[in-house]
Amino acid sequence: MLIELCGVSKIYNQGRPNEVRALSDIDLVVEQGSMVCLKGPSGSGKSTLLAIIGCIFPPTSGRAAIATRQLARLPDRFLTLHRRETIGFIFQRFNILPELTVLDNITLPLLPLGIAPKERKRRAHELLERFAISHRAQFPAGQISGGELQRVAIARALINNQPIILADEPTAHLDTTLSREFMAIMQQLQVAGKTIVIASHDPLVFEHPAINRTINIKDGRIHVP
Amino acid sequence: MFLNPWSLALSLCSLVVLLLGAIAGRTAVRVLRFWEPGSDSNRQIRLENEIWLSSTLVAYGLGFQIITLILFVLAADQFCQVIVGAMCATGALLANPFGMPALLIKLVGVFFYGFWILLHQLDIRSEHYPLVRIKYLALLLLLPLLVLDVTLQTLYIAGIKPDIITSCCAVVFGEDIGRTANLMTGYSQQGLLATFIGSIVVLGLLGGGLLQRWRSWLAKLYAAGWLWFFGLALVMITTVVSSYVYAMPFHKCPFCLLKPEYHYFGFALYGTLIAAAFCGTSPAFAGLVRGRKGLSAIVARYQRLALILSLLLLVIFSGLSFYHYLKYLISGGEG
Repeated sequence: MLIELCGVSKIYNQGRPNEVRALSDIDLVVEQGSMVCLKGPSGSGKSTLLAIIGCIFPPTSGRAAIATRQLARLPDRFLTLHRRETIGFIFQRFNILPELTVLDNITLPLLPLGIAPKERKRRAHELLERFAISHRAQFPAGQISGGELQRVAIARALINNQPIILADEPTAHLDTTLSREFMAIMQQLQVAGKTIVIASHDPLVFEHPAINRTINIKDGRIHVP
Repeated sequence: MFLNPWSLALSLCSLVVLLLGAIAGRTAVRVLRFWEPGSDSNRQIRLENEIWLSSTLVAYGLGFQIITLILFVLAADQFCQVIVGAMCATGALLANPFGMPALLIKLVGVFFYGFWILLHQLDIRSEHYPLVRIKYLALLLLLPLLVLDVTLQTLYIAGIKPDIITSCCAVVFGEDIGRTANLMTGYSQQGLLATFIGSIVVLGLLGGGLLQRWRSWLAKLYAAGWLWFFGLALVMITTVVSSYVYAMPFHKCPFCLLKPEYHYFGFALYGTLIAAAFCGTSPAFAGLVRGRKGLSAIVARYQRLALILSLLLLVIFSGLSFYHYLKYLISGGEG
């Protein structure tokens, strides 16, 4: 699914003394089925850009469209629905609920959709097998290893078969082996047709051969070297 | 009478609603001046975010203002305990010149506030913000009514003094016993009953016709029919229905029906009537915005639902209206 940003700016606390300009006039096109890395130091605006693409909040000005639709500016009741169907998120700290089992964590995004428990389990088991963590299905998520946790987070992002995957610093808490494993999974997803945007300043990510394009962000602007 | 729990509750809540209205009024002016749905400007995006909060608050505020109609009548019913001569809300509302106008404005407000909430609900069901301008223009036009509503209510509460001597419902609505005419003098019960039954049949036929095939002119006629029926039903309740509920031929009062002695029968009666009249008039109102982008199917769905509800409520209201009358005819008395 095509992602298109045109003149996107984001200002936090606009008009207040603590105003912060996080993004300025970003123009960006991410083609369908490509894997793009947003690279830049901490505080450069990568996560803000990812949040705007992910329709977490609208830009302060400019156009952010997914498949020509400005999802982030849809009325709230529609935005939630479209975001759920279109975008899968992988967070830096995975945001897994440690008390729930691995299976329950993965099926969590399906609960508001009213999908029958049997179908939820079927989809989850398919992903558990794909990521080789079936044996952990009934384990509380707090008791599994970092690598397994990462795969649970990916499985949760894919459970609704969204066409776009956004990952914010996904390897920040992983060692080299797990980071490579993560990128291998992303590559598989890209081959399967997903559009992937990863915000990261980890060389293992932005130098990975599967990355089609690396976008340097500095002080809220796209930096052309 | 401000130091009374009912007065305090009513006054404070109305002030909050008025404050919300004033804040939303500011947004309304900005929407009318700057709203550009196709723009990616900072101002437009800020407005889009702003209208969500202000519309929601206004919708809840107006919803509450509708409920104040009930609170207002209940408060008046409480006030009668300290006003000489008052036996129910009738006497309390006539204790100063602002009571009845306040009630009337609240009653009118139920429809107008309801129509605004309906506009809001239709608007948020479309992805394209099709009614934002209309909604906020309507809000600006509605604000004077809201101000009048709160002002009359405040003047009424402020004007209630325990030393006022007022008339009770028996004098205001009772049968003319040859001394003076009153509010209900001159209505023939048989004539009213026939008109009432005839109106129910006509409304039923109009509604049935609309259900068969939707026609815009018929919906407008149906709405006009409901406005007529609403007024007629209020007269009918006072002059005919109430006597049978009280089982006293000379006692006619639209407010005593709300008392616990009569099992709060009035709440069911008036509640059904107001809801039915709103459902009956709103399809024609919603029809005015049916042509807006993305609203055709949403409005059509609402119109059908409101029409069915209005017919259903008409049946319930008719049943409630005739319950005591038929009971009297069948059992030959209070039975």
